[in-house]
Amino acid sequence: MKKFLVFSLMALMLASVLAACSNSDEASGEDSSGSDVTTLRMTWWGSQSRHDQTQEIIKAFEEENPDIKIEAEFTGFDGYFEKMAAQASGNNLPDIMQQNFGEYLNQYADKELLADLTPFVEDGSIDVEGVSDTIMESGKKNGKLLGIPTGTNALTAFYNKDMLDAAGVDVSDGQWTWEDYEQYTTSISEATGEYGARLMEPKNLFEYYLREKGKTLFNEDGTGLGYEDDQLLVDYFERNLELEEKGAIPNYDTIQQIKGVEDELIVRGEAAFDFRWSNQATALDSAAGDKPIGMTLLPGENNSQGMYLKPAMLWSISENSEHKEEAARFIDFFVNNIKVYEIGGSDRGVPIKEEIRSELSADLSETDQKVFDYIEMVTENSSPIDSNFPPESSEILAELTKIDELVMYGELSAEEGAEQFRSTVERIMSR
Amino acid sequence: MKPVPPNKKLNTGNQNVTGYAFISPFLIGLFSLTLFPILYSLYLSFTDFDLMGTPNWIGLDNYQRMFTEDPTFWKSMKVTFFYAGVAVPIRLVFALLVALALNKVVEMVGLYRTLLYLPSVVGGSIAVSIMWRQLFGNDGAFNSILASIGLPTHSWLGDPDTAIWTLIVLYGWQFGSSMLIFLAGLRNIPKTFYEASSVDGAGPIRQFFIITIPLLTPVILFNTIMQVIQGFMAFTPSFVVTNGGPVNSTLLYVLYMYQRAFEYFDMGYASAMAWVMLVIIAIFTALIFKSSEHWVHYESDAK
Repeated sequence: MKKFLVFSLMALMLASVLAACSNSDEASGEDSSGSDVTTLRMTWWGSQSRHDQTQEIIKAFEEENPDIKIEAEFTGFDGYFEKMAAQASGNNLPDIMQQNFGEYLNQYADKELLADLTPFVEDGSIDVEGVSDTIMESGKKNGKLLGIPTGTNALTAFYNKDMLDAAGVDVSDGQWTWEDYEQYTTSISEATGEYGARLMEPKNLFEYYLREKGKTLFNEDGTGLGYEDDQLLVDYFERNLELEEKGAIPNYDTIQQIKGVEDELIVRGEAAFDFRWSNQATALDSAAGDKPIGMTLLPGENNSQGMYLKPAMLWSISENSEHKEEAARFIDFFVNNIKVYEIGGSDRGVPIKEEIRSELSADLSETDQKVFDYIEMVTENSSPIDSNFPPESSEILAELTKIDELVMYGELSAEEGAEQFRSTVERIMSR
Repeated sequence: MKPVPPNKKLNTGNQNVTGYAFISPFLIGLFSLTLFPILYSLYLSFTDFDLMGTPNWIGLDNYQRMFTEDPTFWKSMKVTFFYAGVAVPIRLVFALLVALALNKVVEMVGLYRTLLYLPSVVGGSIAVSIMWRQLFGNDGAFNSILASIGLPTHSWLGDPDTAIWTLIVLYGWQFGSSMLIFLAGLRNIPKTFYEASSVDGAGPIRQFFIITIPLLTPVILFNTIMQVIQGFMAFTPSFVVTNGGPVNSTLLYVLYMYQRAFEYFDMGYASAMAWVMLVIIAIFTALIFKSSEHWVHYESDAK
């Protein structure tokens, strides 16, 4: 009897430990009631307004598809891809994953973590009829369709109209040079006593600056930098250094304390310009109260060469998903159901479907109207996006940010910074 | 119990099985959740594992890269040594002083103890770190207080020279667990020693140095070792409060390791870093133990 007790105890322990260790797929399969409800996991990054909207979109989807239940996991952009990396290593990526074009899509493509969506598009379960080829192309890598763009996006110079008026500045036609930018930020900050602009984020803006000068960040085959002359990066650094010295833009110590898009300087009326993605207009406007926020092209003599349309983000299905068909149904819903955009507006970019756009245009919110008009403007003044991001680019871009910080804090000169960036890239690429 | 004749073997097999059955949860946990990952990370440190693909053996490349080609590694090492070297003594001294004060309290001792221990209970948590970020932010409480008494404010977290100090203060402020252990040690010192010495004319200061400190040395040793290990392994404060910035001035070793692993998918390198840290901590612990022969007194030592 005693022996029996002991062994049953042991068996129990073992069983419970094994159950805990085994990759329990409780998140999938049938729920306890025994009806055929499939549970999908879905992840995204974003601001609080996006979290609220997306959960509403999920509700709308579940109402129409009672056989699918979606479990949501969401965070801000910081930390999102770290979390995903951990899940990827455990072969535990969510069924539906919000992906980012460029460095991350290429990295995931490189590791073959995402499902090829071509069959779903071919058999019509994801209906992308009439979406322009350029847009669909951005979700492709190595001949596979790895993500469906959620909408169109572009870099934007957001500006506070009142503050520009105070200095007698008008940039609404998007015709302005870098010299204008320097002059305007200085005069605005003198006129208002606030900052003329937010400090630029090098990740996107140095790349834009290169494009505007006819260069690219990475070379054709993604094996190294796409520009020869370090002076370009030196110029980029020196412009910011000069403006910071004049007090026209803040330094990193101020930027560091911003807790999210809703907390940005432009929202608080403490900066006139802010260069960021057009889909963030929703979050900016909802936080800015009655401040009139305008949108225009980034500066530069050749800004139509620098500007490009980008998929705001992509919906991808992970290779390890056991419910790819159900996941595809959600993506189809997202692309084709007007409710999605009535709830979410332009928060994930301007809808990729013509009929959705025209159906919406009847009663757009003020913010969405602004974003739609702006994307029109960029469509006419842009050149194709670069997609030659090597898998190492997330590390390279993080290093660029660190070097930018060192330069802005005066620990490195602009020349040293540009040199160090090049040698860092070479070191990372040679591994 | 009759004493068992030494030549007669006991049939203990059955009892052993029972014993093992009862400790099996711990054993299984030890092997599957501790020992295996530890050894696996040692293997990974010789590979270029990127979290997703298959690890390829690259020998000592990670270690070579670390020591010869990675200035950030040395920076994080410097930051960590400074942090541990300053913050640990501060915490220990603080904990001892508070324990001495509490030892004098007779009424409501439980309440005081709880209140003083609270910061450490919530200590390692994200919440406190977020509070710290607010406290030392440009428009934070600390600057408001300074401004209200007419002192100049400062961008504490934004200045590479002061950011690390905010973390050191945070570490010092979470003195609760060492304090409790000190308190227990103090309670263990017999009152008679103090009575006898005061008869001989020793004042409280002298009593402290000739009675309290010597008798407390075993506890001091324990606390020092625990805190040194903790100091080297600190992660949460710099991750949440400053994320290593500005300009890497608060880039603690473990935070850099985390960035390598989960931001750059450089898991092999991060594993190598973990083993280097293990060796460093082992050396420090050994040194402290070695030195303890000279300054730790156990009452049982009949010398």
